[in-house]
Amino acid sequence: MIKLEHISKWVTNGGARVFLLKDVNLQIAEGEFVSIMGPSGSGKSTLLNVIGMLDDANEGKYEFLHEQVHLMKEKQRSQLYKQYIGFVFQAYHLIDELTVYENIETPLLYHDTKSAERKALVGDMLDRFQIVGKKDLFPSQLSGGQQQLVGIARALISKPKLLLADEPTGNLNSKQGEEIMELFKKLNEEDGVTIVQVTHSEKNAAYGHRIINLLDGRIEHPH
Amino acid sequence: MLFNYLKIGCRNLLKNKGFSAINITGLAIGMASAILIFLWIYDEVTYEQFHEKKDRIYEAWNLASFSGELHAWNTTPKVLAAAIQKDLPEVETTTRAAWPQRIQFAVGEKKINASGQTVDSTFLQVFSFPLLKGDPVTALMDPLGVVVTEDLGRSLFGSTDVLGKTVRIDNRKEKKITGVAATPPANSRFQFEYLLPWADLRTDGDDDAYWGNNSVRNYVLLKANASPASANAKMKVLKPRYDKEDPNWQMFLYPMSRWRLYSSFESGKETGGIIVYVRIFATIAILILLIACINFMNLSTARSEKRAKEVGIRKVAGALRGHLVGQFLGESVMIAFIAGLLAVLIVVLSLPGFNRLAEKTMRLPFGEPAFWLLLLGTIVLTGVVAGSYPAFYLSSFRPVSVLKGTFRKINALITPRKLLVITQFSVAIMLILSTIVIRKQLQYAQERQTGYDKAGLTYMFMTGDMDKNYLLIRQELLQSGAAASVTKTSSPLTQNWSDTWGIFWDGKSPDDKTDFDRFSADENLAVTAGLTMVMGRDFDLSKYPTDSTAMLLNESALKTMGFKDPLGRIVKDGDMEFHIVGVFKDFILGSPYYPTKPMVVEGAKRWFNVIHVKLNNKNSVAASLKKMEAICKKYNPQFPFEYHFTDEEYDKKFANEQRIATLSAYFAALTIFISCLGLFGLAAYMTATRVKEIGVRKVLGASVSSITSLLTKDFLKLIGISFLIGAPIAWYCMHHWLQSYPYRTAIEWWLFALTGLLTAAIAIATVGYNAIKAALANPVKSLRSE
Repeated sequence: MIKLEHISKWVTNGGARVFLLKDVNLQIAEGEFVSIMGPSGSGKSTLLNVIGMLDDANEGKYEFLHEQVHLMKEKQRSQLYKQYIGFVFQAYHLIDELTVYENIETPLLYHDTKSAERKALVGDMLDRFQIVGKKDLFPSQLSGGQQQLVGIARALISKPKLLLADEPTGNLNSKQGEEIMELFKKLNEEDGVTIVQVTHSEKNAAYGHRIINLLDGRIEHPH
Repeated sequence: MLFNYLKIGCRNLLKNKGFSAINITGLAIGMASAILIFLWIYDEVTYEQFHEKKDRIYEAWNLASFSGELHAWNTTPKVLAAAIQKDLPEVETTTRAAWPQRIQFAVGEKKINASGQTVDSTFLQVFSFPLLKGDPVTALMDPLGVVVTEDLGRSLFGSTDVLGKTVRIDNRKEKKITGVAATPPANSRFQFEYLLPWADLRTDGDDDAYWGNNSVRNYVLLKANASPASANAKMKVLKPRYDKEDPNWQMFLYPMSRWRLYSSFESGKETGGIIVYVRIFATIAILILLIACINFMNLSTARSEKRAKEVGIRKVAGALRGHLVGQFLGESVMIAFIAGLLAVLIVVLSLPGFNRLAEKTMRLPFGEPAFWLLLLGTIVLTGVVAGSYPAFYLSSFRPVSVLKGTFRKINALITPRKLLVITQFSVAIMLILSTIVIRKQLQYAQERQTGYDKAGLTYMFMTGDMDKNYLLIRQELLQSGAAASVTKTSSPLTQNWSDTWGIFWDGKSPDDKTDFDRFSADENLAVTAGLTMVMGRDFDLSKYPTDSTAMLLNESALKTMGFKDPLGRIVKDGDMEFHIVGVFKDFILGSPYYPTKPMVVEGAKRWFNVIHVKLNNKNSVAASLKKMEAICKKYNPQFPFEYHFTDEEYDKKFANEQRIATLSAYFAALTIFISCLGLFGLAAYMTATRVKEIGVRKVLGASVSSITSLLTKDFLKLIGISFLIGAPIAWYCMHHWLQSYPYRTAIEWWLFALTGLLTAAIAIATVGYNAIKAALANPVKSLRSE
């Protein structure tokens, strides 16, 4: 599904290149659950953003579902991204001015989904995450775990093939974190959603089928 | 989708009430000003547009040169119409209109003064003034007929069914109503309550066939496919063919479409006219609207940090840039819509005042779909213009940087925002400076010595029997103690009714075509008007009966004639001879903005229209007026007592400039207000983002005043730059404006200083509030929150 070849990304600082990612080669098959680990500043989030097409690499090839992402124009990339990828953030990133219902509904608006269908899809999602009773609340009225549930519901509403999660449990207590991880596992196993998560926690990383370790922008291969 | 945008838009508005209020108020005021100005422009450009044959209607104009200067004007001889009909095959018909006159209509005991005109029978066929009753073709043919407006008919008879009824006019002739016309639209030069047939003029012996008597307006209706150019070629040679006295005198046909807006002529060429004001006001309207839009842009981008996260999330959720541009534009159009409704309310409330100011009767055409379409168009356009910069700016955020929290105030943003503030204040400074210069010019002209004493000076137009009973009226006015002095004159002292280049004296050079103001008075002019005699004496008929052919000169006239010993010299005006008995100091008869012209005052043999009465200052004005009224009623019972105060009439000379001054003051105040609204919001925001910095500075021992000046300084710099841009532009415009006034004030350096200080003071007051508030805040609070 995902094929990264010789991906490098750098910023120029005072004339010298500082590498965020250096010669990264990575393949992820459909249906995998991959965890990315590494210390702060090792390039985990950057890698996730490159995979999620929120960020460009400076060098290298990126193939996503047999499409050459690195050759695409911004607009084509957006279309591809919109169709196949969902994002979950550490800080949830819900829109404060929208209710739970409206937050979940937002991606559908950009998919030009019909109103009746939107209603059904959001309704299903609320049911599935057991947050029907909270649908008219605003994010500030929810606990962190609940907010993250909404964040995940929003990421899943457009039925992505790939779910990218950047430290999804980072702001949650361990019990809440565990629930989210169980949810991810279930999604991966039952719905076949490919998941790539960035995490600091060994325990959470273990939910994945394999772990990729990053250090200073390079993938560390186990000896 | 749209509903979703609308919802979040509303929530954002309600969440930031202060910001929303500033935005909406600013936009609403801007839009309201624009609507008012465009109403005015609409009224001006639709002048005479209601005539069905407007494209074929022309007015005959003279074009002749005096003292080397080419003049164009539109009063033409009565005989012209017949000549045009004879010599111009392009012409379908002509119609003439005499000078508007106020005459008395009487039905039984009811007497009403009404103004109107004597016109040719074709008048109602050329111009589209529909008759509610009567036949437009024949209504003005009957020499004993009269057409009245519906309103006049109702006032006279208490009903509109007045066709065929009889009225008594000026207490001397009976007329039958042959037509009832609708009241003419306000935006027409023809504002009549009655129309009398031309035949009536003939009966009164006032019709003449003299080519030298430019006394009426001649209108021409061209045939449907006639060429105006070929008609004009024939007009050019018409006058020389018939009038041997003035062979160099040309005439031309002036199209109706240009009458109102372009008919200001200089050296025989159009030099603008009201169209100049239309353009200036349109520019101002657009500027004010733009300034309100700039506010919106400024405040929206200043708040961008708050919206940045939302942009990032939406992009991650799959929003394309177009979606976000649409959303933010939609929001600003929504705000513009609310502002638009508020603007309509403001316009409704302020329209009566604006009408008074502009001396118009404009109204919002609520019934017309075009108005709503235009309003909606303005709202959408304003929304799009105001929202464009924030929309494109906000939608350009990269989600990664926004969501990672690396997005901070971007320094690059400051430049366009500063630019916007500079634009606003440049315009504001321009308007302030212009207002001050206009006011100064007005004051300068108002303070000019008039040369006569207006205190307690009144005048009455002679109506009915007043001329006949003048001596009796004068005697009683003086005896009763109401008047200190009474003088009969040709025109009010504030108006110049007659001028001539036909004054001759010994030693006049043959090519001297100096134009003299011509005035006449019976006696005691210097006493009544309070003129200063510099030589000789005033007219005094009782002592010197020959004073009926005596003449007074002003100093300018004396200079023109060049007499060393003027007294007793003979001066000819046409066939009449006058002897000079005195010279008085120049006084302002015409425009207070022009130098006084040479003036001759001719004696009692001449014609008179006005009685000037200097009230006796021993009695109260009210008591004297009461006596005056009783005396006039006694000797002129058929006519109501009407009088004017000279000082009030004199003040009317400044009405135009007064209006410009008031309008420019309003515009300047509005611009300043809207700009300050924006500045206030911007300052509040800027201060809020520097709370931590201020806290640290205070902990380190900064005083309140040093922090206040720190926060104010940046804005003052912008005002300084604005001044450097706005002041020269204002100087340029005002310098040109003043050139149209020969008697004008100077633009002095202190005007600039005053403008600069005023603007700086207003800006400091606006920004200072936020700055002081921030400086006074307890630093512990601001630092803890970080």
